[in-house]
Amino acid sequence: MFGLAVRSVRRRATAFVATFLAVFLGAVLVMAFGALADTGAATGVSDLDQETLTTMAVVVGGWGLLLVAFAVTSTLTLSVHQRAMEIALLKSAGATPAQLRQMILGEAGLLAVVGALVAVPFGALSGRGLLALLKRTDQVSEEVAYAFGPVALGTGLGVTILAALGAAVVTSRRVAAMRVTAALSSAAAAEPRPKRMGKARVIAGVVFFGISLQLSVMAALAGPEGFDAMQFAGSADIMFGLGLACFAPVLMRWTTTLLAGPILRFSGASGYLAVLNLRQRTAQLASALTPVILFVGIGVGTLWMQVIHNDTTPLSGVSASEEAVETLNFVITGMIVLFACIMLINTLVAATTHRRREFGQQRLVGATHRQVLGMVAAENLVLIVAGLGFGTIAALPTVLPMSYAKTDSWLPDPEPGLWLGTAAVAVVVTLAASLGTARRVLRTPAIETVARAG
Amino acid sequence: MTGSQTTRNAPEATEALRLVRVSKTYGGDGTRVTALDDVSLALPRGTFTAIMGPSGSGKSTLLHCAAGLDKPDSGTVFVDGQELRGRSETELTKFRRERIGFVFQQFNLLPTLTVLQNTTLPLKLAGRRVDLNRARAVLERVGLGQRLDHLPSQLSGGQQQRVAIARALVTAPSVLFADEPTGALDTHSARDVLTLLQESVRVFGQTVVMVTHDPVAASYADAVLFLADGRLVGRMSNPTAQAVAERLTYLGDEVARQRRQQRHQVGLDASVATAGRPRKEI
Repeated sequence: MFGLAVRSVRRRATAFVATFLAVFLGAVLVMAFGALADTGAATGVSDLDQETLTTMAVVVGGWGLLLVAFAVTSTLTLSVHQRAMEIALLKSAGATPAQLRQMILGEAGLLAVVGALVAVPFGALSGRGLLALLKRTDQVSEEVAYAFGPVALGTGLGVTILAALGAAVVTSRRVAAMRVTAALSSAAAAEPRPKRMGKARVIAGVVFFGISLQLSVMAALAGPEGFDAMQFAGSADIMFGLGLACFAPVLMRWTTTLLAGPILRFSGASGYLAVLNLRQRTAQLASALTPVILFVGIGVGTLWMQVIHNDTTPLSGVSASEEAVETLNFVITGMIVLFACIMLINTLVAATTHRRREFGQQRLVGATHRQVLGMVAAENLVLIVAGLGFGTIAALPTVLPMSYAKTDSWLPDPEPGLWLGTAAVAVVVTLAASLGTARRVLRTPAIETVARAG
Repeated sequence: MTGSQTTRNAPEATEALRLVRVSKTYGGDGTRVTALDDVSLALPRGTFTAIMGPSGSGKSTLLHCAAGLDKPDSGTVFVDGQELRGRSETELTKFRRERIGFVFQQFNLLPTLTVLQNTTLPLKLAGRRVDLNRARAVLERVGLGQRLDHLPSQLSGGQQQRVAIARALVTAPSVLFADEPTGALDTHSARDVLTLLQESVRVFGQTVVMVTHDPVAASYADAVLFLADGRLVGRMSNPTAQAVAERLTYLGDEVARQRRQQRHQVGLDASVATAGRPRKEI
């Protein structure tokens, strides 16, 4: 079956781009921070430098690790589910569930290994860049030599490949257990998945919330001096965002309930279809909610945290190291936010491209291009509202304790400009990715999209 | 000359569908396939016509061009006296949802919509008032009055196809096209669907054009048109399954003979063959 997996990946290269991209970018991100640990572990590095490098690698890289694992898992799950029809065909041709599991695992493994290996040189370069930045900002002394070694390779290859394989095992079980007839009939291929959430999701969500809460408490108690509060608060939003992501389908359903009325009233047939889709296929549409929440949460959280820090540090005391930390914070936030942003585009493009057949069916019943695009826009509007709302909530575990630690007040000064800027980017990216893809999909004549089943 | 042609080709008021010298080819230079070769036909209102032919004969292309789902390379299609040519994608879509109903082999119901929602969707998209009583009546007619709130995945193939027919009938289209509507169904469900189509013609005066490869399905129609190699090669009124099957068996031989003749003609005089005699309109 591995041979089949190799052929499948080669033949349908485009279908695997999303997973590949997630693995590749994730590995680059993790390797860059892993390299800092390698650098610190080398002999001849002073204790102080070693501590700085290791802390950064563990604290920032550790959270990045979880983020990457999450992204790879969700992208791979999406791509396997999109191929339910093809898998059912193989099953009807006599493939046993064990063979199918092998095939999905083989594909995932192949993609992950290739993606992670390709990432090695880029990861090494990014790590070098990070170190250069640390040196330039006097965080680390000039003579430290860059090392790219076992930690970078181990974590970079390890987390991406393990996350991919883990997701493949879970997803392939579920897909392989599906009845052939159910998967083959076109109506069932798009059958709404059960509305109940899996236990594992709930547990994972609660764990993430717990960690976030603990980080918040530690930040709040860290006191106004130095960077202690920042060190804990900086990761609380990522954790809370991941926790919210575990409940994405539920959050999507709430937002849909809230917005269904106005959408139905103001947007005609497009809104009608959008609301029905949102209600029936919450899980599929919720897959894009995670990156929006993370993007907004981390963006708003970290930037705001930095603003609070700057505002409370006396002007006279602005040292070179303050500026350095600020720059560093922006770079790190930038890397993680950029990763979330690319994941968002990735997910939206993959999910929208997969709806080719659905769009075709709507067009055959008489939907104009404008009506299909209107439907996609309305659905993404709900996504955006949910993402902005819950993303802002995800930022609070970072912002509130930071404010308390620095000013003794839980409520920081409002930063409308910062929030609006982040929100604007989220809105533009979401709409551009989904509507752009939908427009491209609509170029194929409707009758062809329906004939090309699957 | 154009003037005289227009007059000659102008559809009459009693016609639901007219194709005038419609041609369509697919593929590039090396792999060129002529799907439709100068096809002309006219179908009166309130008739049930089956189009038959071997696979690759151009049946589905004919149906798609006639229904405005595909654009012919040359020639004109009139539905209800209105020309399809020269309309933009959006105009064509709007025209289709007003005047054309289409039933597919694979049903193409939207999986997230219930039976009733699927049926009323064309009206919603057209911004027309949704007459729920009428939609219910149509669903009652196709025998699904008790299943209004079911999702397509909860229905059998035959029931899904009947929903698709209800959806196509709800807008009261000028022509209802059906592409192998019984292709994915068992014999029993197929008979229900065919009876339903027949009834919509006989009782409600609907015009139906159906592509099929099944002689039994074709026998439900008032007339059968035979298509081979993208050309209309014959017509049969009041078909029986046996007569249709027989005719189909010989169709292959007929086509081979015609091809030989054509090659012969091309050999004699290329210009004669390409200009051709105007093919008899069916």
